[in-house]
Amino acid sequence: MNILIKSAKIIAPNQSYNQQVKDILIIDGKISKIEDHIKPEIEIKEISLDNLHVSQGWFDCSVSFGEPGFEDRETIENGLNTAALSGYTAVAVNPNTQPVADTNADIGFIKSKGADKATSLYPIAALTSLSHGVDLAELFDMKNAGAVAYGDYQKPIENPNLLKIALQYTQNFDGLVLSFPMESKVIGKGVVNEGITSTKLGLKGIPALSEELQIVRDLFILEYTGGKLHIPTISTKLSVELIKQAKDKGLDVSCSVALANLILNESELEDFDTNYKLLPPLREEADRKALVEGVKHGVIDLVTTDHNPIDVENKNVEFDHALYGTIGLEASFGLLLQEFPLEKVIKILTSGKERFAIPQEEIAVGNKANISLFNPDSSYEFSKSDILSFSKNCAYTGKQVKGKTYGIIANNRIALKSSLSK
Amino acid sequence: MSELSVNHLLGIKYIKESDIQLIFETADQFKEVINRPIKKVPSLRDITIANLFFENSTRTRLSFELAEKRLSADVVNFSAAQSSVKKGETLIDTVNNILSMKVDMVVMRHPNPGAGVFLSKHIKASIVNAGDGAHEHPTQALLDSYSIREKLGDVAGKKVVIVGDILHSRVALSNIFALQMQGAQVKVCGPKTLIPKYIHSLGVEVEMDLRKALEWCDVANMLRVQNERMDISYFPSTREYTQLFGVNKKLLDSLDKEIVIMHPGPINRGVEITSDVADSKQAIILNQVENGVAIRMAVIYLLASKIKQ
Repeated sequence: MNILIKSAKIIAPNQSYNQQVKDILIIDGKISKIEDHIKPEIEIKEISLDNLHVSQGWFDCSVSFGEPGFEDRETIENGLNTAALSGYTAVAVNPNTQPVADTNADIGFIKSKGADKATSLYPIAALTSLSHGVDLAELFDMKNAGAVAYGDYQKPIENPNLLKIALQYTQNFDGLVLSFPMESKVIGKGVVNEGITSTKLGLKGIPALSEELQIVRDLFILEYTGGKLHIPTISTKLSVELIKQAKDKGLDVSCSVALANLILNESELEDFDTNYKLLPPLREEADRKALVEGVKHGVIDLVTTDHNPIDVENKNVEFDHALYGTIGLEASFGLLLQEFPLEKVIKILTSGKERFAIPQEEIAVGNKANISLFNPDSSYEFSKSDILSFSKNCAYTGKQVKGKTYGIIANNRIALKSSLSK
Repeated sequence: MSELSVNHLLGIKYIKESDIQLIFETADQFKEVINRPIKKVPSLRDITIANLFFENSTRTRLSFELAEKRLSADVVNFSAAQSSVKKGETLIDTVNNILSMKVDMVVMRHPNPGAGVFLSKHIKASIVNAGDGAHEHPTQALLDSYSIREKLGDVAGKKVVIVGDILHSRVALSNIFALQMQGAQVKVCGPKTLIPKYIHSLGVEVEMDLRKALEWCDVANMLRVQNERMDISYFPSTREYTQLFGVNKKLLDSLDKEIVIMHPGPINRGVEITSDVADSKQAIILNQVENGVAIRMAVIYLLASKIKQ
């Protein structure tokens, strides 16, 4: 596909084109020219949009698309389309499907469903068979099928010896192990952060201790075994400190934070709204601020939407019975811009690809076009009509956001919000 | 005429102090009614109330039912054990089915915190929370305060200690909110394992020592240990619990003042209080039960008058 992007401000921190307004010519999916003004010599699709900004394509390291098994919540096709129109050119998809993605064939199925789309799909494979936390799944076999990391989504590794073995075994093929930070005995039947809100609402609390205890354990094991450990979605102030100490020590550990924990705190729960029932739970404001600082200073490597569409039947119920999760892809850019300056937001959205062995394509002549398109100056209230996912469980409805995405150009394809396509 | 500031009674934290006083003044009149030879008034002849009990209850359900019948309301009872809930029906569907039969008010007990708040967003009928998990039990807190007011003249300025399983108790939470709203001081006392770590955020002090707690207070509200809500053992044995937190006559008599003993029931005699304490003149446990009917009549009457508008 041949495309000419007209007058786009390039946001590429630390690169030569940063903050410059350029025309970008894309021929057969590759960037062939970046110049002040380009006159097309052949018939070409022109993209000219209000206050258009572009950057290298964005990556989310934790999304759930339901398929196979929960297609009523979301499908891979609609999930990838949602990601594309939200500015993401790459997503790592969790194995929390039915059946769990724990074999070469499962990974192959997910990959094939995600093939030939603008947004690239990278499966995360289950670490253990059926995600039961007992026996390692065939990790190398799944790597060969396209898996980029291994983890049992939101299920903690209860057995420390299993983590030890996983971290040792994956070193033979440079695998990345995900260990969800939650000590399952300490959490008990908790459903929200243990704090003032749980006390006032009579809901069972999830102590910060349950997360921190597991992180301490995992870091000790990592120090013993070596290997590559990623801790998904930390949520407390002390967790940030623990990760920082481990990195200072030289351990090969990375971590992410969920968008919700970066933007919201536990006060949202006052009304028992199940859209705020999340795992990890929304914590205190002091935790949220520490997470923001952790992102600012690079202690936290990735920010994920932890996009998790849940059907209304599992959300519109009593709080204790509701499933955890919120969607987030559609709102992430606008929410992050409320918290960080534009260049930092772009850094956040483009970081972590290397950790998940995903190709990086900067905006440069000769590179494949892998570009996110957006307008950072449009403020509006995020509403249900902005949701593209099948499921509408959203913790951000009614929140003020700054910045709109137009879509992406990637994989020799273009995905733009329909109202913008010429 | 005065009216409540709310259309539902979902919890004490959702109402105002003026609501509490209005409920008490109305309850004064109904208490007089239920002590007449003819204990019934025709006030709610045009109102139908559904008592939806998704969790077992004997005294609260009876108390509500009596209150409703003494106001001449039509009453239907529903308990989860006999219902479609067991067949997988959702709460909203169950309640909407009942409301389709033209019910004006729902009194609901439910095992999950926030169930009443959740329901109030989805149905039009007025809701009275008769206990939702470990969240709130507002009518119990109202009748407790009403009983303190009756016994000691006023709630303001009084010192109340709540003893026992605070962690699993909706009665404790509603009492804390109600007592503080009326100007009483509240402490809690019990095994550290059964006291929420962040209870101080509600302006409540924790007293570890039962004797000190009793010496401090004017009123001790003794809660039952809710074994049915516990996922693990929070203390080694009932015997040991009683040694640390049981109130007996000897302990009461050794205090240099006469305190009031309350209990929301059902009592585990010999565990949180001994029989001689439960049956002593210091205990107002049966007055609480009697006042419960008057308070519930007042709540239902006041909410129903808003429906009639």
